[in-house]
Amino acid sequence: MFKYLPPLNEHNLPYPDTIHPIVVHFVIAMVLFAVFCDVVGYFTKNPKLYEVSWWNLAFATVSIFISIIFGQIEAGLAEPYAASVSTLNAHTVLGWSLSGILAIVTAWRYVIRLQERPQLPIPYLVASVLLVGLVCVQSYLGSLLVWVYGLHSIPVVDAIRGGLS
Amino acid sequence: MNSDLLNQWSNLGANGLPYQIPIHPNLVHLTLGLFIVAISFDIVGALFPVEKAIFKFLAIPVTRSALFDVGWYNLLASAIITFFTVMAGLFEVSLAVPLADVTSAWGYHALETMIWHGVGGILILALIVGMTVWRGFQRYQWRKDMARQVQWSYLAAGLFVFALMFVQGTLGAHLGGEFGVHVTADQLLHLGGNPNQL
Repeated sequence: MFKYLPPLNEHNLPYPDTIHPIVVHFVIAMVLFAVFCDVVGYFTKNPKLYEVSWWNLAFATVSIFISIIFGQIEAGLAEPYAASVSTLNAHTVLGWSLSGILAIVTAWRYVIRLQERPQLPIPYLVASVLLVGLVCVQSYLGSLLVWVYGLHSIPVVDAIRGGLS
Repeated sequence: MNSDLLNQWSNLGANGLPYQIPIHPNLVHLTLGLFIVAISFDIVGALFPVEKAIFKFLAIPVTRSALFDVGWYNLLASAIITFFTVMAGLFEVSLAVPLADVTSAWGYHALETMIWHGVGGILILALIVGMTVWRGFQRYQWRKDMARQVQWSYLAAGLFVFALMFVQGTLGAHLGGEFGVHVTADQLLHLGGNPNQL
């Protein structure tokens, strides 16, 4: 069966470079900017910024599921060595959790938007600030996997193929 | 950088930086995410008459002007943050110690890749700022009262910048993933160490 799968390159990937770190642009940037717009919109009472926030959040929610698909493929092909396993596990668990949390926050926002309230409720703002915190932790864990543990970088893939485990 | 000069940093890690993870790649998330979504929403806004039925089917209320608001505010944010992205990038490339005996998937050596990525970064910053000024004129002057706030040529320019960003991003990926720049495990392996020490 495996002979029908595309061959893996020196990054241990069936395509040139990792895709997950690209798709996560659209989760990290959109969640951070949405909450930034909410906070500025709250204090300046600018309803335009609430709309900008909503559309960014909706975009982030679609993107996080695409990120998870590529994240799972690339985590599966990473063959992580011992020191990196716990970070990869934490990144996986928080990633799946964030998909649920982000979808709930976006659904909440959808309802608030339909109600056409003049101001956002404080509990919603608190939840979205917590969401930003989780996104930052998740980005940090992902940065560790790429920049400290070097998963999918050629030297590390070479070392793993040479027996590093 | 000159190795004597590098030694003057007393606390550089194995990754060649005075901190654990590079800052530039994290700011890149913001630059690219904000720019690509800005242009995408302007495209959705420009094609709005075609998509009305889809939004209705999804039960999502939508106004055309709100789509253009996303196009404008996201672009403005991208322009501001990208100054920091470029600054962090130039600082971190000045501390880069690439694996010298490597040729990238595009056939370049480390120095060529670093130079093209550096020049590309400044070029893209200039293009983002230029497009923000252009977008501002369309929004507040030339097309203030028009239903379609952006020119087709502006959207085409945006797609051209996407292509440049793809090239730039791939060069950046080569710096980390192939030349091991600021990747702790790659530098440890190069020194004969075991990344399980991390």
